[in-house]
Amino acid sequence: MNSLKSHVIKRIFAVCTVLSIFLLCAMILGLSTGSSGGEILTGIKMVFSFFTDDASHDAMMQTIIWQIRFPRVLLAALVGATLSLGGLVFQALLRNPLAEPYILGISGGSAIGAILGILVGLSRFPGVAGTAFIGSMGTLALVLVMASGQTVLKKDSLLLSGVMVNAFCSAVIMFLISLTQDSRIHNILFWLMGDLSLAEMNQVMILAATVLPCFLLIFCLSNSMNLMLLGKEMAGSMGVNIKAVTIILLVTTSFMISSTVSQCGLVGFVGLVMPHLLRLLLGPDHRVMVPACIVGGAGFMVACDLLARTLPQHGEIPIGVITAMIGAPLFIFLLKRSKS
Amino acid sequence: MVKKLFKFLGALIFSLFFILQNGYGSDREVIDRLGRVVRVPIDPVRVVSLAPSVTEVVFALGQDQKLKGVTQFSNYPPEAVNFPRVGSYVHLDVEKIVSLRPDLCLAIKDGNPIDAIRRLERLNIPVYAVDPRNLDAVMEMISDIGDLLDAVRQAEMIIKDMKERIEKVKTLVSRIQERPKVFFQIGVAPIVSVGTQTFLHELITLAGGYNLTQGGVSYPRMTVEQVLAMGPDVLIITSMTRGQSFESVKAQWKRWESIPAVKNNRIYLVDSDIVDRPSPRLVDGLEMLVHYINPELLKQTP
Repeated sequence: MNSLKSHVIKRIFAVCTVLSIFLLCAMILGLSTGSSGGEILTGIKMVFSFFTDDASHDAMMQTIIWQIRFPRVLLAALVGATLSLGGLVFQALLRNPLAEPYILGISGGSAIGAILGILVGLSRFPGVAGTAFIGSMGTLALVLVMASGQTVLKKDSLLLSGVMVNAFCSAVIMFLISLTQDSRIHNILFWLMGDLSLAEMNQVMILAATVLPCFLLIFCLSNSMNLMLLGKEMAGSMGVNIKAVTIILLVTTSFMISSTVSQCGLVGFVGLVMPHLLRLLLGPDHRVMVPACIVGGAGFMVACDLLARTLPQHGEIPIGVITAMIGAPLFIFLLKRSKS
Repeated sequence: MVKKLFKFLGALIFSLFFILQNGYGSDREVIDRLGRVVRVPIDPVRVVSLAPSVTEVVFALGQDQKLKGVTQFSNYPPEAVNFPRVGSYVHLDVEKIVSLRPDLCLAIKDGNPIDAIRRLERLNIPVYAVDPRNLDAVMEMISDIGDLLDAVRQAEMIIKDMKERIEKVKTLVSRIQERPKVFFQIGVAPIVSVGTQTFLHELITLAGGYNLTQGGVSYPRMTVEQVLAMGPDVLIITSMTRGQSFESVKAQWKRWESIPAVKNNRIYLVDSDIVDRPSPRLVDGLEMLVHYINPELLKQTP
């Protein structure tokens, strides 16, 4: 038993090191490119000149890198980690490889809550985050009720109910938007497709303080998730309180998803791409998958944000567009494969 | 003892230095239209305009040599297109703005997102917000910007010219017996018109028209049925709706012979930039509207 544990720890360590290198590279690239132009190489030099106390220290460039790009990169990393971990948890709990917060409508539900909060004029934190959480819990309950009655949530019924909840959510969102007359509507529209452009350090800190404990909690429950995948009886006989674990995981996940949605809007399919990719590489052990999804998801999102910022000549593409363009084809591919 | 004296003298010189810097330095404090105290340079030389209207005002004041950046849709005067772009009016690119090292940003209250304005300030970039909510406020805005950019005289001249032209229109309009009913269309699908709290309403009223869609909703959505029932004498369409030609929109209205404006062929196109952008050109827009709504007034004058 002991040797097994040390083996797992070694694997976690190795996987995290590799993924951290990926994340670090993405972050350095993210810090060194931006709309103010300039070569990537000089950008990278600028980033490192901060640590070396170089004479080529350019105050304006340092402001841009550390006060504008850095919070944004961190926010992208946190959001990516949260969303891919959320996907992983939903896939394990619902025993459905296609489950994902965005597809299930959890993100849509938080968006309704968040928009209501914005329209009422609540502060971003804790007001909007709170209404977003209520919204996400509401849709989660709705999805579960609609797909209940079966011991194992069947793929099709769960997805169908998710699609319906999502359609309903978008209708409510459009309804709220068409009721709004004022100029805030532009912000909401940008925010709906995922907007990281106004990231600030205190916002990042608040998000980190809310999601990092969730990461830890989910990691502690990762072995229970492994056992639950073996079946209810098996897990029960191994001493897992299935009901409690399920509820804790669902609520924690919805909580962290809704906090990211309230900060930066709807970003879909991240919870599908990373868990699947990593599961292919690493196998199904959740003790490895949870940290891997956190680090890998963070790197993926930072890379997507980099694309969102650099692809268009002027302005930027909403990040949700990039993730959906990568994720939706993958979803169709997975659906096709699971059918055959 | 001597040491203490030195310390005291040092402190005195230090504080004097500060007093001097604040009193005679290159900064001054002003209160902007958001009611905030903003420290602005006495003679700013690196100005970033955060709205097309502000860009127009800066150009009208002849201060474009101080302009270092404009927003995406700043298209007037044509030279404005050559300036670096800092994102659009509603979606500002903060990084780009910072990289231009502005010593003053000119923003619009209720237009530019307040988050972005606060963000710029935290990065130590002074942001002065103007509030051009109606024609009088546009003149205030011109005077504010003139004051900030050391172009007070130019601002006064522009305002004087605007006031004179508005007065002229007012005297003309005072002669009309009945105000023609105007339907002003700023959106095609859905049909969108203008309520009371808009420039367009103010301009229509000044030009001697009766805005059929006045009311609390700023941009009310209308149906063809409602327009038919109101029976406008004049139908004015702005060029705001991109991608759809004026001719095709006009042709759609032509089907409804019962509308007086259709019967008398009084359907007109107006460039939206001169009637809904709070700039000195609003007066051009006003004169154009008089021409469309009350053409007989202009014929009477020699």
